[in-house]
This record gives sequence, structure tokens and C-alpha cells, in this order.
Amino acid sequence: MAAAGMKKLECKDLHGYLKTLGASLLDELYGRPATCLAVFRELTDLAKHYVMRLLFLEQAVPQAVVGSWVVSGNHGEHLRAVSQLSDLRVWHEHQISGGLAGWILSPTFRANLRTALLGGGKPWFSVVQLPPDKHAKDVAALDTYSLERWEVLLNFIVGSGEAQVSKDIMEILIKSGLMKSEEGSLHPTITPAGFQFLLMDTPSQVWYIILQYLDTMQSRGLNLVEALQFLFQISFSTLGKDYPTDGMSDSMQQFLQHLRELGLVNQRKRKSGRFYPTRLAIHLASGISDVEKDFHKEGYLVCESNYRIYAYTDSELQVALIGLFSEILYRFPNLVVANLTRDSVQEAVVRGITSEQILHFLRVNAHPKALHRVPIVPPTISDQIRLWELERDRLTFTEGVLYNQFLSQPDFEMLRNYAKDLGVLLWENNSKRHMVVSKAGHDDVKRYWKTIRKGNS
Amino acid sequence: MVNVLKGVLVECDPAMKQFLLHLDEKNALGRKFVMQDLDDTHLFISADIVDLLQEKIDDLFDQLTFPVQQK
Repeated sequence: MAAAGMKKLECKDLHGYLKTLGASLLDELYGRPATCLAVFRELTDLAKHYVMRLLFLEQAVPQAVVGSWVVSGNHGEHLRAVSQLSDLRVWHEHQISGGLAGWILSPTFRANLRTALLGGGKPWFSVVQLPPDKHAKDVAALDTYSLERWEVLLNFIVGSGEAQVSKDIMEILIKSGLMKSEEGSLHPTITPAGFQFLLMDTPSQVWYIILQYLDTMQSRGLNLVEALQFLFQISFSTLGKDYPTDGMSDSMQQFLQHLRELGLVNQRKRKSGRFYPTRLAIHLASGISDVEKDFHKEGYLVCESNYRIYAYTDSELQVALIGLFSEILYRFPNLVVANLTRDSVQEAVVRGITSEQILHFLRVNAHPKALHRVPIVPPTISDQIRLWELERDRLTFTEGVLYNQFLSQPDFEMLRNYAKDLGVLLWENNSKRHMVVSKAGHDDVKRYWKTIRKGNS
Repeated sequence: MVNVLKGVLVECDPAMKQFLLHLDEKNALGRKFVMQDLDDTHLFISADIVDLLQEKIDDLFDQLTFPVQQK
């Protein structure tokens, strides 16, 4: 019951985030081809289709014409696409002569998407030719690097070992509610939201932290638009290639250093004049929409139908994560055996972790051998975990008022219909002439009852 | 004539409802609290018991479940 009222950690996707930005910020963002292409890439198929049809038109198209491109059976999808495009300010309403309402693509978006698709325009990255890097990094090295950096952050949240993060990142963790600092203690401690965060897959975690980071940017006097445009540009870069840092403003350099700390970019030295984007950064701009499994590390969990979890790992962090929702039984140098029990799962639920999060964690971290099984987590386990969660809130309470002992059926029906029309009827039993009205509606219903009674007598 | 009772509507599954009725009958919370047995999944109970009930229900329910895990 302690979990009641605790909010689930919400993770918006790219469009969800962009919609929260103001109109002027969005328009400014579309000033770069990379942003336009990234936004376009994430549109629904129908919305993409509309944009393509309108892309080379300089004039508005009547809304009725756009509507006629879709057969009537798919009207719902049409409405979704229309609101998506309007919310993102990709197009806006425009009066056509004759008083018809039409749609016209935002001119900046149109111009920049054309550039992105057809080529031309200024190069996306600075054109300085970099001499070959003596300390060039290959893809494998970048992957290990980004993973290591990210684990430092997770270890810091768990509070295990010697993991340290910079002051800025710590502030973001506190501000996002993943950790809280207690009076008199130097090291902040993890919150229920933090537990939920730990069980998310890596791409969602990165995305969540970056969103929190962007939210605090303006208050720290950094340029949000520039940072977003930079992130979108990175998402079109090539893994294992180096990019020059010159031409970047001071606030961008600062941003780059934070990305470096989180493992999104790799720089050998602060002044080395080049950076390597890592997989974490390149996949970032696609939001969390198409993430099924962690792409850069192999799973290690085998979950059996006898509630045993075998974890082939020697990482403290991973053992701590498993310990969040199961009972550790045995520990070997490269293997941990744990048991899912009712107590351990319910303890996790009390901390604010949902059954879905546990199951998602078990699935995305499944051992390659276990991936061949369909479904990955045995159905008995997934059902039982859900049932254990439901056990905790089997009762719903609603304050209300019970009306009973009506003398006649018409009286009952009249009052019941009145309450139903007001939308305050919680429960009714026609044959026993019982009804329950919500507390808020009681006064209205009582007044109504008095007026009819007066009318009858 | 209409009788009006103030209280709290509880919605739950039938097993849980029987459990609540059992608690009521055995005076497990120190007194009676069920005001009206509505149907299989609904009960009407007195409002001042809700806090105590929420506090106790998990403990009481835990006593009725037995772990079947092997170590």
C-alpha cells in the first residue's frame, strides 16, 4: 500500500519531448537539416507520406484534399497524423482564398528537409580536415568505453564502490528525483524513482538522463537549441570516425565535456581537437521508440520456470540490480543464483518498481542461450510476478453514500437515473433497490430527492 | 422513505471480499466495520476503519499465504 500515490517514472519519446518546447524554440530548431531529418524519421508512416506530398509545393493545400488521401476506414490514423504534424509545428493552418482552411508546411522545415534529402547546403560538421589520429579508436574500444562510463554513473546511483561523478551530473541526478541528498550526508542516496531507473534498459536510461540534462540547461545559461541541434547531428555521424571540435562555442564545449563524462562521446584529451561519438549518442535521437534490447552488451540472465534466476556475471552492479527483486542464494566467481519469491517481489513493489519493469529487465538482459526460447521469460514466472504485484492492491476504496430502503421501484429508478446522468453513480443494484453515490454528488442527489418528494405529496 | 448511509465503497475480487467478511466476523480489527454486503465484489464499510484496514490488510493476508520455495 505504500506504493500507492508513487508515480511511475515517465520517459517521453523524442516527439513527446519536442512538443513540450515552445513554438519559437521549435522553429529555431528546424533551422538545421539534421534536425528536420531526425524529426521526419520519427513521424508515423502516414505523416511521412503527407510531408513528402507537400514538400515541393509552395502553396497551401485545402484540408479537405489532405483528408481525401485517406480512405474513410482509416480516419483515426489520419487524425493522429494531422495532430502530430501540427503539434510539432511541421505544418500549420493557412487560409486559402475563398475562405478554405488549408495546410502549409513550415517554410524553414520545408527548405531544410529538402536540403537534407537532396544534398547541398552547408556541411553538417566543420570541414577542417583532421590529420589521421595516432590514437585512433575502433568500434569495439568505443563500445567498452561508453559502457564503462555509463556503469560509473549507475554505480554512483546504487552507491556501491568508489564511483564518483562531477558536480553538474550529481545535481541533475538530484533534480530529476533519482537521488536525494540528506541533511548532513555528503553522498546523496537513491530514491524509489532511482530504483525504477536502474531497471530500465540502457538506451532508455541515456535518453532519460539527457532529457533531464536538457531541462536544466536553460537555467544554467546554456543554449538549448544549439545543444539539441548538436545531438541530432551526432545521430547522423558514423561510429568509429572522428569529428573536429573547432568552431564549437564555449557552451557547446562544456556540453561536450558532460557528454564525455556520460560516455556519449570519447575524447582522449580535452584539448585534442577531435571527438568520437559512441553508440549511446548515435542511437539517442531515435528516442526510445524502437528499443527492444540493449545493443551493446550481451545478456547474462537465465530465468527458469522454478523461479530460479541464474546470472552469469561478476559485476557488483548487476548483482545489486538482481538483488532488488530477488533473493540471492549462492554466489560463485562468475555466477549468481537467485530465487524469485513472493516476499522479494513485493518488497520491490513497495519500493515503487512495477512487475512490468522487472519482466522487462529479465527480457532485455536475457542470456543469448535463453533468447532462443519463446517466450524468453517462462509464462508461469511472468504471470506470477504480475499476480504478486496485484495482490498488493486488491482493494479500491471510494468514499460514497449508500441509499437503500426505497419504497417503490419508480422512486429508485428516478433517483438512480438522475445520479447516472450527473455521472456520480458508483454502484447500483436494481432488484434490491440499493445505490451508491460518490461523496461529491451526494448534495445534488439529496436536493433532487427532496424536490421530487415535495412534488409527490 | 429512503435510508442514507455515509461510508466507503470497497471494490475487490470475491476471495478478498470473503476475507473482509471474515475479518468483520472475527472482530480482527477490534470491531465490526462492514455496513452492507452489496454483491460478490462490492462491500460498503465505515469510513473511519479504512486507514487501519489498509495498514493491517497486508500483514493479515501474509499470514494466510505459505511460501513453497525450495532452497
